Amino acid sequence: MTDQQTVHRPQAGEPEQRPLVRVEDLAVSYAAGRRTVPVVRGVSFSVAAGRTLGLVGESGSGKSTVARTLLAHLRAGSRITDGRVLVDGQDVFALSAAGRRALRGGTASVVAQNAGQALTPSMRVGEQVREALRAHGEPDGPDRVVELLRLVRLPDPDTIVRRFPHQLSGGQQQRVAIAMAVAARPRVLVLDEPTTALDVVTQAAVLDLVADLGRELGMAVLLVSHDLGVVSAMADEIAVMRAGEVVEHAATAALFATPQHEYTRALLAAVPDGRRPEQRRPEQRRTGGADRPRRDASVPGTVADTATGSVPPGSPVEPPVERPVVDAQDLVVRYRRGLPAAVDGVSFAIAPRETLAVVGESGSGKSTLATTLAGLVPAESGSFTYDDGTVRGDLREPVAARSQELRRAVQLVFQNADTSLNPRRTVGAAVGRPLRLFTGSSSRARVGELLTQVGLGPEYADRLPAQLSGGQRQRVGIARALAAEPRLVIADEITTALDVQVQAGILALLDGLRRERGLSCLFISHDLAVVRGVADRVAVMTGGRIVEVGPTERVFTGTNHPYTRTLLRATLEPGQTELPDVGDGVQRWRDAPGWTDHGDGHRTRNWEDA
Amino acid sequence: MTAVAPRSRSVLGAAVAPFRSSTALGVGLAFIAVHLVLAVLAPVIAGHDPVATDATDVLAGPSWAHWLGTDQYGRDLLSRTLNGGRYALLVTFLATTIAVAVGTVVGCVTAYADNWFDEVVMRVVDALLSVPSILALLVVVTVFDAGLWVIVLAVTVVYAPAVTRVVRGAARTVITQDYVTAARARGERAVSIVFREILPNVLDVVLVEFAMRASWIVLLVASLSFLGFGANPPTPDWGLMVQENRTALTVVPLGTLAPIVALATLVVGLNLAADGLAKSLGVDRAQQGAGA
Repeated sequence: MTDQQTVHRPQAGEPEQRPLVRVEDLAVSYAAGRRTVPVVRGVSFSVAAGRTLGLVGESGSGKSTVARTLLAHLRAGSRITDGRVLVDGQDVFALSAAGRRALRGGTASVVAQNAGQALTPSMRVGEQVREALRAHGEPDGPDRVVELLRLVRLPDPDTIVRRFPHQLSGGQQQRVAIAMAVAARPRVLVLDEPTTALDVVTQAAVLDLVADLGRELGMAVLLVSHDLGVVSAMADEIAVMRAGEVVEHAATAALFATPQHEYTRALLAAVPDGRRPEQRRPEQRRTGGADRPRRDASVPGTVADTATGSVPPGSPVEPPVERPVVDAQDLVVRYRRGLPAAVDGVSFAIAPRETLAVVGESGSGKSTLATTLAGLVPAESGSFTYDDGTVRGDLREPVAARSQELRRAVQLVFQNADTSLNPRRTVGAAVGRPLRLFTGSSSRARVGELLTQVGLGPEYADRLPAQLSGGQRQRVGIARALAAEPRLVIADEITTALDVQVQAGILALLDGLRRERGLSCLFISHDLAVVRGVADRVAVMTGGRIVEVGPTERVFTGTNHPYTRTLLRATLEPGQTELPDVGDGVQRWRDAPGWTDHGDGHRTRNWEDA
Repeated sequence: MTAVAPRSRSVLGAAVAPFRSSTALGVGLAFIAVHLVLAVLAPVIAGHDPVATDATDVLAGPSWAHWLGTDQYGRDLLSRTLNGGRYALLVTFLATTIAVAVGTVVGCVTAYADNWFDEVVMRVVDALLSVPSILALLVVVTVFDAGLWVIVLAVTVVYAPAVTRVVRGAARTVITQDYVTAARARGERAVSIVFREILPNVLDVVLVEFAMRASWIVLLVASLSFLGFGANPPTPDWGLMVQENRTALTVVPLGTLAPIVALATLVVGLNLAADGLAKSLGVDRAQQGAGA
């Protein structure tokens, strides 16, 4: 137990070895009132040293519960009803309290989803790492702490040790959490959605680190994730969980090549594929094809950098120019005076019936753009107008100063459906409110009609949000936006909180409604694969500026800005078993004046090497 | 897709659930219920006029006619204790309801305003909170003379600021939720946002706050009477009874003990109910800044 340092560490891939982790026929139940609900049923697997097992499944499938049993941890109210969990040959639930303490962080350790919450905010990073060392009787001198931070590839470890967690970025926090997890040289590492809170570039770098550490230290790694891309790049084997059971367990390549279980197949089919868009959703391509070319070419010079004026007018063969619904020129948004601008001189336009996607890492200003469009943050300077032929207005004004018609025309769908619905009001009330506000009357029939349009039914009107699943809540969110009969829908990361299958359903729904009603859409996302499926044009944002904009296919295939290239390279595709090389995440370019036009409205901001 | 649960059942289930999940809440509510029943049925059970004096039968011990004996003026102690409960419950209910209602509305409004108005109101609240409650009560009662409504007003002045602070803390976390943003984005008026979106979501905090404050207010009102600033002498009131009978403590100990036991059971009941409510509603009072 405590003598794990002296144990011989087998090298990765060493043949014929005793599995470090053995889960045998594990069943866990949760007591809800007087009833017991089985959460996990008959799960068995084993992980050898140096190997990585990926555990995938939708939320509520029990994958996190299983992962945490490796550290002899159960949620309050849960208990083991059958089976056992062996870590390094010992049944963890048979251990004494002292034995469990030695197990946790000693033999097996966990890296939680959100490092920002896993680190103590009031303690310096170095001190926290030292604590992890001391807890397991490791030498805890400053050299050892710095050595650990260097091991997780933190730049300048000598200064990092003196920082507080809030002074680090999300990726750096996660690296510190990993350093603490491997401090006592554990033999088993449990990663519970380790990169869900990180953007793609940081995610790739953190995963790369974990893969290397697993190999170097010869750990058995259990990776829990709902992201098939992450799992396929990391794991040697994958176990697919559904409703507390493992429905399929296979080597990674085999699972993606020939999925056996129907659930696995459904899961794989639901993944938006950013690589081969033409092979997917052919019916959509066909129906969308008729007006697509006109739409794509309809807004020439929409991302005009007015300061340099380098944008030529549209090509002469274009049909008559359609007026954009939304037109922004040199828009600047700042949250408070003295702070750097969150949106810094952005110009774009959205044509009627067009979907413009804005992609970028967290903090790039894309969500600020959405909230400004919705009138929740006033713009500081630049012009920002709305004109759909019947309604026109100035979008720089906050929502209170906007006309009723303009408020009605622009509607917002939120990222997190859990918090966007009032938990004390029924679905019917949530949808009926904008109906009454914007159309003057609301009836059960009308509410039921809207709910039916989003794939629910009139009977959902009496339910409370807590009685709905995440996907159903998001559908209600869409119904609420549609109730106002908008012309423009702002979709702010609407599928981020959803499982892939649900996500596919929501995207299809939005796409159908958009086409049916001829809506324009501003689609905010960090997920490039999702964007490729839904957007007509894509704008790439970083640091509050747009660095590239163009028709979707051109952006995904054509000449790119270096930042777009990094984003594209870091995206993990299911079935891709290699981790992408994103270097050290240091930006190697800086803005140069002017734009380069690649034709068809595809243009990139100029840059120079830094 | 899960089956649609009938709404009536779920609402009933939600209403009954807390009682099943918390013994403290059940016991607390039972204490309060007993007090309510006794107060309502006081004239029937006691059978004596609580203010009628009888010079022939003073300072008597328990007997068949007077179960708890009589005080120095020959008044029936049981009648006085039970009728004292009526007064205590009435004052507590009125004072707590008004104080909590005022505090809740002000708390929600200031939290939503989040501007100079919020600043001004909260500084006033800070100022009021810095005055010791019994002192503030004495000042109000001295200026306006004692009386039911004066006490209710005084208690409101003393306790509304504390409630404001707690509710504001709870409301601020509600305001960051997207459904409030959604309401703002569709141009709802501030009044509508406060009452439709924010208020229903701080009700759990308000409910716990109500039970908690009620127990403090019971004690406060009794202290006030004990000091001679609350109910006027012939009125049957627990604080007043303790004050009147403490000189005869060795002769008729029940004269002091009866109101004290009544007071204690009511306060314990309210406290248990508040704790049970907080637990079953998941309200963490420490997190809401209830220390103030």
